Amino acid sequence: MRNSFWGLSNAQLILAFVLMVGSASCQSNDRLPILGQKEAITKTVNGKTITDSVDHAIPDFRFVSQYGDTVSAQTLKGKIYVADFFFTTCPTICPKMKTQLKRVYERFKGNPKVMLLSHTIDPTRDSVAVLREFAQNLEVEGRQWLFVTGDKEKIYDIGQNSYMVSAAEDASAPGGVVHSGAFILVDAQKHIRGIYDGTTVDGVDKLMADMDRLLAESK
Amino acid sequence: MIKKIVAPVAFVIASLLSLTSCQSQEEIKRQKYITEGILKYQNNCANCHQRDGKGLAALYPPIAGSDYLAHKDSIIHIIRHGQQGPILVNGKRYNRPMPAQMHLSNLEIAEIVTYIYAEWGNSNDIVDVKYVDKVLK
Repeated sequence: MRNSFWGLSNAQLILAFVLMVGSASCQSNDRLPILGQKEAITKTVNGKTITDSVDHAIPDFRFVSQYGDTVSAQTLKGKIYVADFFFTTCPTICPKMKTQLKRVYERFKGNPKVMLLSHTIDPTRDSVAVLREFAQNLEVEGRQWLFVTGDKEKIYDIGQNSYMVSAAEDASAPGGVVHSGAFILVDAQKHIRGIYDGTTVDGVDKLMADMDRLLAESK
Repeated sequence: MIKKIVAPVAFVIASLLSLTSCQSQEEIKRQKYITEGILKYQNNCANCHQRDGKGLAALYPPIAGSDYLAHKDSIIHIIRHGQQGPILVNGKRYNRPMPAQMHLSNLEIAEIVTYIYAEWGNSNDIVDVKYVDKVLK
């Protein structure tokens, strides 16, 4: 028993050590998945037409922020970001979502690698001025969290077809629009790496943990 | 074995209850209001005002620690009919519309208000349905 540690034999200690190393290395390889369907593209390489598959990615877009300037894929270059869809007069899930996204904002405030992008799905009412006042009232400053408005069709299109969330007008719903309470995590290559329930503390705790993992990937 | 214990314990509880029954009729009613009020608050109010009643930044005013609690009748009125335009709470200006809650009955409003005052208003008084009836008449 002289060579024991917590009463374990040498063989047991070696086994425990191997298991620890094994699980640690497993964790570092455990990358977040890339979500969405792969898309087939045909391209011409050296005069030959080949078909390749690429991961689903968020295409370029053009919206206007609460400061009145244009926001495009370029604005988010080299950063990971969280996207969501809301409107300022929404009486149902939006206040919950904004409460939760504010937590994310406070947690990653000042991190140059992280941005938040909230799209209004009621651009008729949510003008630049309305979004600016909303951001001020939420006590959000600077350009890390952008609230964007723009062409309604384009916002709905990018929401449904690129971020894979639902948004649709419905006169019977409170506020006139039904939409998802999801937060979408996008990496610097514009791939979707996770979709979270933005209305719950648990969902958003998971999002923040995954953001840490995603930030660690690029280190 | 168990029966032997249950009988005397039940007797003691029953006699204790009868001793305090005078005060507890009202207190039992208040506790019922509060229990119902918690649920109704969480389903109808907490989205904006938060479960802890602290509101959200300058968007939605707090209920906890709010000087607006001095206006009980106005609060009952706002819950039913909503609120438009600016409102001053603890010296801070808030200007988001609060939707009317026409789906809440007078009893449900009474339960919510009783809960709010018990939790954040330092009040042991029940705001019963008759009072809400009177205010909303």
